[in-house]
Amino acid sequence: MAGLQHPFHCLRYVNRQSTGQSDVVIATAGRNLYSYNASNGQRLDVWPQVDASAEDKTADAAPASESESQGPPEKRRKLSSHEDQKDGEKEPKSKDSGKKEASNSWTNIPLLTIAQGKYVIIMTSEDKCVRVMNLDNDGKLKQLSARTMPKKLSALTLTPDEKNILCCDKFGDVYTFPVIPSGEYVKPQPKAKPYEPAATNLTVHTKRNLESLEQQMRQAALSKTNQEERVVLNFEHQLIIGHVSLLTDVISVARPADSTVGQRTYILTADRDEHIRVSRGLPQAHVIEQFCFGHSSFVSKLCIPSWDPTVLISGGGDNYLLVWNWLENQILQKVELPGSQGETTVSGIWDVSLGPTADSAEATNTIFVAREGSSQLLCYTVANDNTISQQDTLQLSGNVIDLTGIDSKGSILVSVDTLRESESTSAWRSSSGTLLETFRFTSGKWTPVEDSMVLKINSEGTESLPASLEEKQKKELNETIYSLGNLRKRGDGDE
Amino acid sequence: MVDKVDNPPAKRIKREEYRRNVQAQQEAPEGSVIKMPQKKFFRQRAHANPFSDHKLNYPISPAHMDWSSHFPAFVDPDESKKNLSGGRKLTKEVEVVDIGCGFGGLMVGLAPLLPDTLMVGMEIRISVLEYLSSRIHALRNQQQRLKSKSTNTPTDSTEPIATPVQSTDPSSPTNDDEIGTDKIFPGNFENITAIRSNTMKFLPNFFAHHQLSKIFICFPDPHFKARKHKARIVSETLNSEYAYVLRPGGLLYTITDVEEYHHWVLRHFLHGELEDGSTPPGSSKDLFERVSEEEVDADPCVRVMKYETEESKKVTRNKGNKYVAVFRRKADPEWPV
Repeated sequence: MAGLQHPFHCLRYVNRQSTGQSDVVIATAGRNLYSYNASNGQRLDVWPQVDASAEDKTADAAPASESESQGPPEKRRKLSSHEDQKDGEKEPKSKDSGKKEASNSWTNIPLLTIAQGKYVIIMTSEDKCVRVMNLDNDGKLKQLSARTMPKKLSALTLTPDEKNILCCDKFGDVYTFPVIPSGEYVKPQPKAKPYEPAATNLTVHTKRNLESLEQQMRQAALSKTNQEERVVLNFEHQLIIGHVSLLTDVISVARPADSTVGQRTYILTADRDEHIRVSRGLPQAHVIEQFCFGHSSFVSKLCIPSWDPTVLISGGGDNYLLVWNWLENQILQKVELPGSQGETTVSGIWDVSLGPTADSAEATNTIFVAREGSSQLLCYTVANDNTISQQDTLQLSGNVIDLTGIDSKGSILVSVDTLRESESTSAWRSSSGTLLETFRFTSGKWTPVEDSMVLKINSEGTESLPASLEEKQKKELNETIYSLGNLRKRGDGDE
Repeated sequence: MVDKVDNPPAKRIKREEYRRNVQAQQEAPEGSVIKMPQKKFFRQRAHANPFSDHKLNYPISPAHMDWSSHFPAFVDPDESKKNLSGGRKLTKEVEVVDIGCGFGGLMVGLAPLLPDTLMVGMEIRISVLEYLSSRIHALRNQQQRLKSKSTNTPTDSTEPIATPVQSTDPSSPTNDDEIGTDKIFPGNFENITAIRSNTMKFLPNFFAHHQLSKIFICFPDPHFKARKHKARIVSETLNSEYAYVLRPGGLLYTITDVEEYHHWVLRHFLHGELEDGSTPPGSSKDLFERVSEEEVDADPCVRVMKYETEESKKVTRNKGNKYVAVFRRKADPEWPV
């Protein structure tokens, strides 16, 4: 029996028919990004290439080391203590940004999106780096840019025109920057004025505060840099939205013109404090239009179905989904999730729309919902009036991780957790489970099917894990995939 | 020996007992005398972590907020009018918010200035909030007794109510905070209340789009360290939320004694001069303009903010500086075509 293998963390089907190219499937597993031929499942490329790691070095080292030296002190502390426990080699990561940095700076790729059918955008986890890859005719991947973010991202998406990246982080900030940088970025030079403490003896009075002020004055005499003006990101970017909360998801949408108004774009953001915020799209993202109130626990996923941009489906730590007329903060439907004893966490909401087929004259619109650590895939159909109704639940061989629709085949591709037992986020299997499963919509329902492409991908597998793993390493791996449950408030805040 | 270790210090016992008594007073029957609370029993360190969860109560949405217990004098007589959580509606909406109201000097000072406007002070520190709630309760009680005294028998003054110890400046609504007042004020402090909240997270849970006409941010926690600047209550991204709850034409008042913070405030509300003369990228700065100095000087609210809040008095005592900046909410920009 082969060893345990990384499951696919992210999965996207790329339809390239409009450009006359063959379709591909893009997936991430462990620290790798894969591309497959969508018709026969043949692996086209793996990134980063093991032998070509020398190439990456130069591209990666610079931004990564930048972030290490400029990251906030808390982070650094955490990292080094963590490294301390692991083993003795803590130095290479933070200090020596050489070879080691490039090949070992991340262990997983939790975010993936595709732009214009030809760019693959990922975030590598530990180095918080947004990487844009070129996807060529043959499905080969080539890194075009690597941009290091100040904080780990929780979601990555695109503006409706697919020209700009939108991403949100766990510090509550939403940034935007072009998929392809427009030119040489000139970093705004902070005015080199000497550092002066913000406090003065007019504003602090206690003995202790005065002492530390004196200390700061002494420090000021030594240091020449003004800390406050420091610019962290060394590429063209804009901070457009900020929540004082942990952001979980961001989506953007264009509402087509109607009789009264022209086309308008919006950005929707979801946070851990139950909020869904509706802001205008760029360049007016600072104008908040609405909040959608109705969740009583964190919101983790937002989905605006492709067939109706006026509707939003949201889910999180509640035992229900909400269907919204999001522009009006109007709840259209509250959908109780089945078997909701205990805590439910929605980990994915996907819209799949199939055009009319030989089977059915009308288009089929389906919403799939996954819950964290569940092997069941909930299935809902959407009627013309946007009411959604539950269909037969699909049972997978393991926990559902990601899903992508394959419209040309009228099917969906689901990535399944190969490592953990079904219904568990922590109990490990003794041998690897299936990587991918596929379902097709036939005679009014979704049924499992065999697909030669899937068989081929499954037989080839992904990267194997080391033969023996410590409990701590397993726990870390569990948390890379199952981290949403940690967002739940436990009521242990201070007074 | 073990006993001694387990016993809380005498100061804390005294504090808790005092606060229990104050609480009990609140539930006392109508007409009984409620003493003004004493600040010294409610002191709390001047910082709170805005990123922490705390144990906060906040409504699901503004339409769920039950204000009826906060403003009993403004409850709509029509009992059938209910909000989404089943509470009675008010005859008017809250319009003024003091973010980080502390011991409530601004609220108490503004109450008679804007007697028909509902105002709420928001504070994250639990003890300080408890003090302010008791203070407002006591002030209302005192006003009621003064009113009934003046309407009933003016000769009967045996009841020992709030005798002022010193002559008061007639322009100042209250004299010593802990004594209260012997004057009847317009509004009788029925138009102010205090709520514990973290406004950096939950302001939109309390107030709807364009509901407010004034927001006050007085002597905010300066968070001196650059690493803590994210915790500052004024920032370009957070200003979008203030713009959301503030109606066009509404005012946002700031005052600080930290010069660097004042410049921070200006920087985060106003576009700076760009060297190449290009238009700056869209930001919440597009939604505010600074109010002229003449207008600020003429605004009675600014006087209250400068001289009647607890912090402003402290700054005066320490001969510190006060930096005021007031911003007007502009209308939302036209949608791009």
